[in-house]
Amino acid sequence: MSGDDGNGVPPEGADEADGFLPAGADDEGVPSDEDAGDAEFAMALLEEELRQAATVLDPVPDALRQLALDAYALHDLDAQIAELTFDSLVDALPVRGVTDPPRMLTFRAGEVTVDVEVTEGGLIGQVMPAGSARVEVLGGPQTARPVMVDTLGRFTSDAPPAGPFALRLRTGADVIVTEWLRA
Amino acid sequence: MRSGTLHSTAYDDVPYTRGGAVDRTEVGGLVQSAVDGDAAAWKALVEGMSPLVWSVVRAHRLSDADAHEVYQTVWFRFAQNLGRIREPDKAGSWLASTARHECLKVLKSLTRLTLTDDPQVLDRASDDRTPEESLIDSEEAADRAERVRRLWQELEGMGERCRQLLRVLVASPPPSYVEISAALGIAVGSIGPLRQRCLRRLRARMDARGAA
Repeated sequence: MSGDDGNGVPPEGADEADGFLPAGADDEGVPSDEDAGDAEFAMALLEEELRQAATVLDPVPDALRQLALDAYALHDLDAQIAELTFDSLVDALPVRGVTDPPRMLTFRAGEVTVDVEVTEGGLIGQVMPAGSARVEVLGGPQTARPVMVDTLGRFTSDAPPAGPFALRLRTGADVIVTEWLRA
Repeated sequence: MRSGTLHSTAYDDVPYTRGGAVDRTEVGGLVQSAVDGDAAAWKALVEGMSPLVWSVVRAHRLSDADAHEVYQTVWFRFAQNLGRIREPDKAGSWLASTARHECLKVLKSLTRLTLTDDPQVLDRASDDRTPEESLIDSEEAADRAERVRRLWQELEGMGERCRQLLRVLVASPPPSYVEISAALGIAVGSIGPLRQRCLRRLRARMDARGAA
């Protein structure tokens, strides 16, 4: 316990706890252990006040919390995850003169590779090896839009993702979902 | 959720220990239950960890649209990886670190940083916040609400390092230092001293403001 419980440590009473202030900010020199305890106590109090402020003034928006609750539906142990192995945003060198290059992404799960290019117009991609994969663009727990895939595994979606997205591939009984990503 | 417990909490917690250690002991169990199909466990995870994820996003000063997308991405990915997370006990750190990486990606994708001198964001506190309004039902409460609002304004005006640390530090329930480390990419050992310094500075700002 810190020394003086009857103190209540109001803001004014915390002055002596300022032994921790940097040089120039106080004139008390090296704090004693007791001062240190009081200082920590005052800090804990301030932290708690700040926590209340955060809770009241900057709470998680309700709609977002609901989306996180709904996200439970995305939990699918049977699906394989295709991990992001290339992201032009992170891995590509900037090209001189190109100010807004399209985002290029590569996902991989075992033998399967998915290349995706995100443009203002939508998504263009290719699944390799080409097979009879069916592809859906997921936009959230409740949004899945099928896209046409040609014989070479190429597909196009003419709607750009409005938020985080993932691709779901079905080949026979296998399901592969790409890592969720912000477009 | 902790209103009214300010004083007793502070007294009971000496020597001060991070409450997160207590609140988070069940995380591993909740993750396992959620994997096994227990929707209530998932709900408990969302309720318990959402403020941490949100605090990380807010600490990085993203635009509202980007903040919302990062928050969603983190939870979608968490749901997707549920059952594959190697250390379920550390799901909080997993979420915090995923949020941080997504935030950094967003910042990298912006050709220019939109620093939040945006008065709309700084004035957020005075906007139509019903929780705040509900606080103001007596003069005393009004005074307290005003102090809370000023505290928040002073936080917003602090240097990036302190503002980021304090924003994540004061998520509810309080995150552990390991989670804060994952959220901000700073060493666990430096969090304690940094916390001290930043809280001290914040108080100095409040005192200066009160004296002005």
